[in-house]
Amino acid sequence: MNNPDVNKHVRGESIFIDDISLPAETLHCAVLDSAFAHAGLVSINTNRAEKMNGVIAVLTSKDIPGENQIGGIIQDETLLAVDEVKYIGEPLAIVLADSITNARKAAAYIDVEYKKLPVITDAREACKNGSLIQQPTIFESGDIDKAWGECDFVYEGRVETGGQEHLYLETQCAVAYPKEEDKLLVLSSTQHPTAVQRAISRVLGIPMSNIEVDVLRLGGAFGGKEDQATHWAVLSALGAHITRKPVKLVLPRYQDIRVTGKRHPYSSDYKIGLKKNGKIIAFEVIYYQNAGACADLSPAVLERTLFHVTNSYFIPNVRATGISCKTNLVPNTAFRGFGGPQAMFVVESALHDAAEKSGISYQTIQKSNLIKDGELFHYGQTCENSNALKCWEEAERLYDFIQIKKNVDEFNQKNKLVKKGFSIMPVCFGISFTSSFLNQASALVHIYTDGSIGVSTAAVEMGQGVNTKIKTIVAEKFSVSSDRIKIESTNTTRIANSSATAASSGADLNGNAVLLSCSNILERLKKSAAEELVTEDKSEIEFADEFVFVNGKKTELTWTKLVQKSYMKRINLSSHSFYATPEIYFDRTINKGRPFAYHVYGTALIVVELDCILGRYKLDTVKIVHDFGKSLHPKVDIGQVEGGLLQGIGWMTMEEIIYSQEGRLLSNSLSTYKVPDIYFTPQNIEVNFLEESINKFGPFNSKAIGEPPLMYGIGVYFAIRNAMKAYKKNLVMDYSAPLTPEKVLMNLFM
Amino acid sequence: MKEEKEKKEISRREFLGKAGTGVAGSYFILSSLKQAEAVAKENPLQPPETYFGNIQVQLTVNGVKHKVRVHTNTTLVELLRDRLSLTGTKVVCNHGECGGCTVVIDKKAVYSCQMLALDADGKDVTTIEGLLKGEELHKVQQAFIDKDGLQCGFCTPGQIMSAYALLLNNPDPSEEEIKTAMAGNICRCSAYPKIKESVAEAARLLKA
Repeated sequence: MNNPDVNKHVRGESIFIDDISLPAETLHCAVLDSAFAHAGLVSINTNRAEKMNGVIAVLTSKDIPGENQIGGIIQDETLLAVDEVKYIGEPLAIVLADSITNARKAAAYIDVEYKKLPVITDAREACKNGSLIQQPTIFESGDIDKAWGECDFVYEGRVETGGQEHLYLETQCAVAYPKEEDKLLVLSSTQHPTAVQRAISRVLGIPMSNIEVDVLRLGGAFGGKEDQATHWAVLSALGAHITRKPVKLVLPRYQDIRVTGKRHPYSSDYKIGLKKNGKIIAFEVIYYQNAGACADLSPAVLERTLFHVTNSYFIPNVRATGISCKTNLVPNTAFRGFGGPQAMFVVESALHDAAEKSGISYQTIQKSNLIKDGELFHYGQTCENSNALKCWEEAERLYDFIQIKKNVDEFNQKNKLVKKGFSIMPVCFGISFTSSFLNQASALVHIYTDGSIGVSTAAVEMGQGVNTKIKTIVAEKFSVSSDRIKIESTNTTRIANSSATAASSGADLNGNAVLLSCSNILERLKKSAAEELVTEDKSEIEFADEFVFVNGKKTELTWTKLVQKSYMKRINLSSHSFYATPEIYFDRTINKGRPFAYHVYGTALIVVELDCILGRYKLDTVKIVHDFGKSLHPKVDIGQVEGGLLQGIGWMTMEEIIYSQEGRLLSNSLSTYKVPDIYFTPQNIEVNFLEESINKFGPFNSKAIGEPPLMYGIGVYFAIRNAMKAYKKNLVMDYSAPLTPEKVLMNLFM
Repeated sequence: MKEEKEKKEISRREFLGKAGTGVAGSYFILSSLKQAEAVAKENPLQPPETYFGNIQVQLTVNGVKHKVRVHTNTTLVELLRDRLSLTGTKVVCNHGECGGCTVVIDKKAVYSCQMLALDADGKDVTTIEGLLKGEELHKVQQAFIDKDGLQCGFCTPGQIMSAYALLLNNPDPSEEEIKTAMAGNICRCSAYPKIKESVAEAARLLKA
């Protein structure tokens, strides 16, 4: 079964928010954002703008009827700035006009008087000045201070990772329609409809029940629309609430890039201690997270970093300190991996560094420390059903590491100016929102009297194929044709109090809720069928291929007939169900618990080819063994692995976010910020499924897929670095990503 | 009354179907300008001539001839989306850097955000909506479904139009030629491995 949207996508008939045909009276909204990274707001004068052609209203913080606050985790973010701006791109005012051209033109005529204040863009500098989002968090296991004495080798170093622009192709957008009294319907391109609903309620001072948020589909999100879609939806709602006209807001690309948060840049210090046999004894790390000007999701992102300190490895003594630093950059936010990739890059850098300095091979250290069943993660969870070593060994068997490494060495002996580099990247990623309460979902399943089925969940379709998976679950459970099943839009009136579609958990949480609803209805239908077929025991009843079977024998009773008969007997053909992930908990007072339902594992083998004169590299080979559990939809899952991998590679190589000292984003368009294109696809790409992986937490034993594959991209950094080393034996270089071609050249020749 | 009845009966899709049958035997829906003109006269959905702007352009889009008034700075993509309601063509970067707005003119893939509507005067434009023959998918569209060459779908119309233009000119492209032709289309979901396969598959389907 294909993604139900695919047919519409290839015809250009899928409706995204910017494609909706709107009533003629619709107003178009332009946002004026701050020109300075830190300044006092002396005055905002809207007089000139209000007189411009087509302008209906110009709104500032003074026009907000409720609370001027949209902060999620910490209440530190205003909708429209009041007396200070803290980053370039902070919204100051909106213009509502009869056309988007008129609205944008008028926004330029709002006169703002600023009083410039000192700007901090660096996380460590912010930390030194005591500018923090919250107090540092420490995760600790074993006795690290004692452990250093047991080590044969101890190394220290510093690691940097850059930000990453989401570049979802559909920019942030929303349309708000006023309804009767003070009610609103808001169409938003958000991963988190409930967050939008909650924020609108607060800002407008009206109950959540008066606000309906509906999401049909997203043109990409990658975390960038988890928290950060809210701002724009609330602004459009504010406009609609005040003018009582529909208001459309679509950010133009250059503004979207400037005003929305990105993946957090991290600067980290580590200390690692090993035995002569390669066993890691101790690992200490301090992460300086560049949160930007407001908390947004930074505390949660930092927490996931702290959970992924050791990647796939068992390390008995760990101390990890996370410091979320407040700077004058746009508030950074969720991005596929959510802090996990930053942690994994640090530990891999530490291992790589230790390997180079101790002479033990990098792969030996990696393999000999892979976590096994019964060992403890540093946050107190016991490792169960570990597939770390299984994935590694399966990859070793399928891809012949030794031969590939030999080929690379031979190539490097024969070639002087072009070198190949090889690396292996194991990944272990925890599945569940780390705030345990978020791991809840509900589903609403209706069977209509013609036998067709409508399914509502909180899952937002953004290209990851969650609707396809939910459709697969329903079709399998009811044993009916998938043509009968319609996955509805994500809507707060049908599914209330939802969590974001994030943390790779969309199919897990919503799929499990759907399974419960289907089971409820199925039980009722079985009872009904037993009556129809005069069978005493309903356990003999089964459904297969749209027919009712008794004791394995096909009857005349079809799905549609049974549904109709059941309706006439006044049997409930709808079910609303609730699912909460069992067995998970986490105690933040001691930072111990069982935060994850399970882990996803995998191993990637990577070969790159580097032109040492031009600094350019290309991806020769990426071969992966991935732990899908029992894949719900192999086609979708392969797409997620390949897409995630390429995004991870982009983050590690070409995608470079650059700010000026004044806090101005310099890499502010696709001409200055490069993302992977079709040329960047690995020449040889192969993804294999790890056999016999079990997972009782996923629907039909499946595993989450969205984020884990991104981290295979980290291996590309080390492969390039190894190729550089093959050219320049005495290479000394910081562990700093992205490793752009420019950086390669600087390190080879400067 | 008769006119009203026609309005109800002739849907855009049916109209495209008619235009398509005019070129039976060809893989592509684009009919000759003359045929299109003939059908366009019957097309009750043609927009009125009094749209915003004061410069008149005439162009053919998906076989239908349009007379539209535009501003000097109206871009082709604005004309397509905002005036002709052909929203399959997406605005992504509006800077000619991503390929989301790709359409085909004179057998060439063109970024419609980088072409002024004025410059499209007299041109024959094919958008993603013009590839369908009635309800039948074009082979390029079919190939993208078969090989799963998409995820969120936002870049898909542009990808398909670039592939379509490539195959108009080069029915048997090498892998390198596919890459060159598709390099101007960004897919942030990074479905590139499958996009590459889709284009190769489209070439195979068209030859079959």
